[in-house]
Amino acid sequence: MMLSRVADHQYWMSRQIERAENLARLVRVSEEILLDDETLGRGSAQEYWSPVLQATAMEESFRSLYPVPRQGDAARFITSDLRNPDSMISCIRQARENARSVRDKISEEMWTEINALNMFVTSPEGIDMLDMAPQAFYEKIISSSMLFDGITEATLTRDEGWNFLQLGRLLERADMTSRFLDIRSQTKAADDAQESLQWGAVLRACGAHTGYRRAYGGEISIEKVVDLLLFSNEFPRSVRHCLRRADEVLHDISGTPTGGYSNQCEKLTGAVLARLSFAGPGEVMAIGLHTYIDELQKHLNAASQAVFESFVLLPNEVNRHIPNRTRQDTFSDWQREQQQQQQQQ
Amino acid sequence: MNLKDYKPNKLFDELLDEEGKIRPYYRSIADRLSGLTTNDLNSKIRSLELLFLKQGITFTVYGDEKGTERVFPFDPFPRIIPASEWETIEAGLIQRITALNLFLYDIYHEQRILKDGIIPKEVIYEAAHFRPEFVGVSVPKDAYIHVCGTDLIRDTNGKYLVLEDNGRCPSGVSYVLENRTAMKRVFPHLFSGGVRPVDTYPADLLSTLRHIAPHENPNPNVVLLTPGVHNSAYFEHSFLARQMSIEIVEGRDLIALDGFVYMRTTRGLRQVDVIYRRIDDDFLDPQVFRKDSCLGVPGLVDAVRRGNVSLANAIGTGVADDKVTYAYVPDMIKYYLAQDPILEQVPTYLAWRPTDKKYILENLPKLVVKAANESGGYGMLIGPTATTEEVESFRQKIIATPRNYIAQPVVNFSQHPTLIDGKLEGRHVDLRPFVLWGDSVKVLPGGLTRVALKRGSLVVNSSQGGGSKDTWVFAS
Repeated sequence: MMLSRVADHQYWMSRQIERAENLARLVRVSEEILLDDETLGRGSAQEYWSPVLQATAMEESFRSLYPVPRQGDAARFITSDLRNPDSMISCIRQARENARSVRDKISEEMWTEINALNMFVTSPEGIDMLDMAPQAFYEKIISSSMLFDGITEATLTRDEGWNFLQLGRLLERADMTSRFLDIRSQTKAADDAQESLQWGAVLRACGAHTGYRRAYGGEISIEKVVDLLLFSNEFPRSVRHCLRRADEVLHDISGTPTGGYSNQCEKLTGAVLARLSFAGPGEVMAIGLHTYIDELQKHLNAASQAVFESFVLLPNEVNRHIPNRTRQDTFSDWQREQQQQQQQQ
Repeated sequence: MNLKDYKPNKLFDELLDEEGKIRPYYRSIADRLSGLTTNDLNSKIRSLELLFLKQGITFTVYGDEKGTERVFPFDPFPRIIPASEWETIEAGLIQRITALNLFLYDIYHEQRILKDGIIPKEVIYEAAHFRPEFVGVSVPKDAYIHVCGTDLIRDTNGKYLVLEDNGRCPSGVSYVLENRTAMKRVFPHLFSGGVRPVDTYPADLLSTLRHIAPHENPNPNVVLLTPGVHNSAYFEHSFLARQMSIEIVEGRDLIALDGFVYMRTTRGLRQVDVIYRRIDDDFLDPQVFRKDSCLGVPGLVDAVRRGNVSLANAIGTGVADDKVTYAYVPDMIKYYLAQDPILEQVPTYLAWRPTDKKYILENLPKLVVKAANESGGYGMLIGPTATTEEVESFRQKIIATPRNYIAQPVVNFSQHPTLIDGKLEGRHVDLRPFVLWGDSVKVLPGGLTRVALKRGSLVVNSSQGGGSKDTWVFAS
C-alpha cells in the first residue's frame, strides 16, 4: 500500500527520464544522418526534422513558436527549449521535481543521479557541451538515464513503488519505440541505399543494431525491423517485450494471476499484448505501418490513462477534475499559493 | 588559518573575551582551525556546498520566477556553548514553553489571565492568529505547542535574550542535523570529543507526535502535512518524514469523511491519526479558514474538533507568538508558574499603548519596528540603517494600525568569527533551539545558529542573506 500521489510521482518520474533518454537517442541519430544527408545534398533540414516532430507530437507547438524556423531550431526545440513541455530538458526537470516529491521513497543514490543530471543540463558546462559537442550531450543524457535505471535496480526495495517505477519506464519505452518506427512511415527514401540507411538509423536509435544483426544478419528490410521492434519477445526495447513486462508488473501490483485481470489497466495492457503475440509484420504491412502504429498508440494511451484511474483516483472520483501539474499555468498557480502561505517561521 | 588577524569590534564576541583572549571553551577548536590553511578550508567548503546541492539540501527563493533553489550557506567555524550556559538556556526554555502552553490552554478555556487583568482583552481578541472558534475545544493532553523554535540573541554583555517564540511551524531543525553530518564528514579532525549529539531529534519528534494520538491509540498513523515541493522548507519536510519513516502528505492526499481523516492510497483509504502539519492555520481547511486555499483539507477542522485526528502544533498557537503577546510572556510566567523568568527578553514598546506610540514615533530612527504577525524577517524596519522614506512609510503604517506594530531598541547582538572571502570576520549570530513538548520536555542540545553574512547586518533569515553554523554544546 502506498499513497496514490506517490505512486503517480514514481510512475511519472521514470516515464520522464525514459522519455528524455529516447528523445536523446532520436536526436543523436537524426543529427548524425542529417550530416550524411547534407553531404549528399538531398532535401532541406526542415523537411528532414518534420517527421521527427510529427512522430513525437511536437510539430504543432514547434510551428507556433517558430513560424519561420532556421537551421538548428528543431533540434533545439526538442532538446533544450523550456517552452516545450516535452523537450529533453523539460522532461528531466519534471522527472527531478517528481523525484523531489518522493525523496523519502527512493534511494539516496537515485536522487543524487537525477538531481545531478538536472543540474548538469542547465549548467554552463552542459550548455557549452550542447553547443560544441551535441553528440556527447545526448550520450550523457542516455547514459545518465541508464545509470538511473541500474541504480534503481541495485538499490530499491522490490515493493509497490518499484512496480510503479517499472510501469512508467516500460509504457514509455513501448510508446517511444513505436514512435521511432512511425518516423519512417512519414519519410520516403529515394533509393534502396537510402532506405536501408534510414532503417539502420531507427535501429541505432533503439540500440538495436547488434540485436538485429544477430537475429537476421546484415541486410536490412522493413519487415525484419518491424518484427524486431514490435514483435520480438526477447529484445528489451520491443513493444511486445515492454508490454509483457508491464503486464507482469501490473499483476504483481494487484496480486491477480497473469492471464486474468482485475482492473481496467490490466485488461487493456493484456489485450494489446495478446494482439502483439498473435500477429507479425505481415499484418502490419497489410494495414500499413502508420495506421497500425496509430492504432497501437491509442491503446497504449488508454492503458496509461487506466493506470491513473485505477490507482491514483478513487473510484468515485474518476470524473473529478484533477489538475495536471506538469502544465505551466497550474504550476504557477500552485507556486503562487505556496508563496502566499510562505513566511515560514 | 590565522586567528591572530581576527579583530572584532566592540560588540560581544563569542570567541574572544574583553581582553581579546580566546575564551577557554574555544581554545581547542581554535588550535585545530589554526592548523588548516585558507586554501584547504576554501576547497573543503566548496566541496561541502556541492554536496549540499547534490543532495538537494536547499531552500526555494521566492519572488524568483524560476523557483530557484539555493544552498543555505554554511560556515565551518562552529559556535560553542559551554555546559553551564546551556543549563540556564535549557531551564529558561522549558519554563517558557510551560508557561506558553498554560497560557494557550487558559486563553482557549476560562481566560483567567484576561479576567484577572494581567493581559488586556484587546491584545488577545485583536491578535491575527487568535482563533475564537476554538475557545472551549479540548486538545489531547491539553498541549498546544508541541514543537517550539525560540529565537535567542546575546546583548553587548553576552546575556541571552529571547527575541521571539516561534510556536506555529518553526523550521530549521533539518539544517541542525545536516550541518552536524556535514561537519563530521568534512572536518572530522575539528571534533575533540564531548560534543552532545543531535541525531535523536527525529525519534524524539516522533514520540512527541505519537504522544497526542486520539483515543490513546497505541499505534497511530502519523503523517507530515506539507504545502508541497515548491515550499521553501520542503527539503526539511521531506527530511523529517524520511527520518521518522512516516508518510509526507499534501492536502490533496487527505480526505475528511464523517469526522475522520483518511489518506488516499493505491489500495483505498487509510485512516490518519496524527498530523504534523507544516502549514499555517489559515490554509488548513477551506471550510473554516481561507476559502481559497487548495493546500488544506475540507473537513479537517471538524475532525480535529471531534477529537478523531490530532494536530501538532494545535490550531491557534499563533496568538502566543504574536509580537504584542510576546511583551506579556514574563507576566505569564509569574502568573501561571509563580516564578521569575530565567531568560530575559528584549524591552518592547507596543504601538497601541498611547504613551508607547508617542515614544515610538518620536524615536523611529533609533528603533527596530516589527509587524506583530509577520515572521521570516519580513515587515521589519531597522531604524538606524533605514532610509528616510522607509522610516516615513512605517510612521504612516503605525499611525494607521497601531495594534499591528511593536518597537524594540536595537540590540547589537553578539558576533562570531565567520569565514568571509578566506578571512575571519565578525558577523552577527542568533540561536534557535528546538523544544519538544511530549511525554517529557526535551530541548535539542544547541540548535540552529544563524549568521548574518552581510557586514553589519542584523538579519539572519535565510531568505535575506543569512547562513548557518554547526552549534556545539559540550557535555560538561
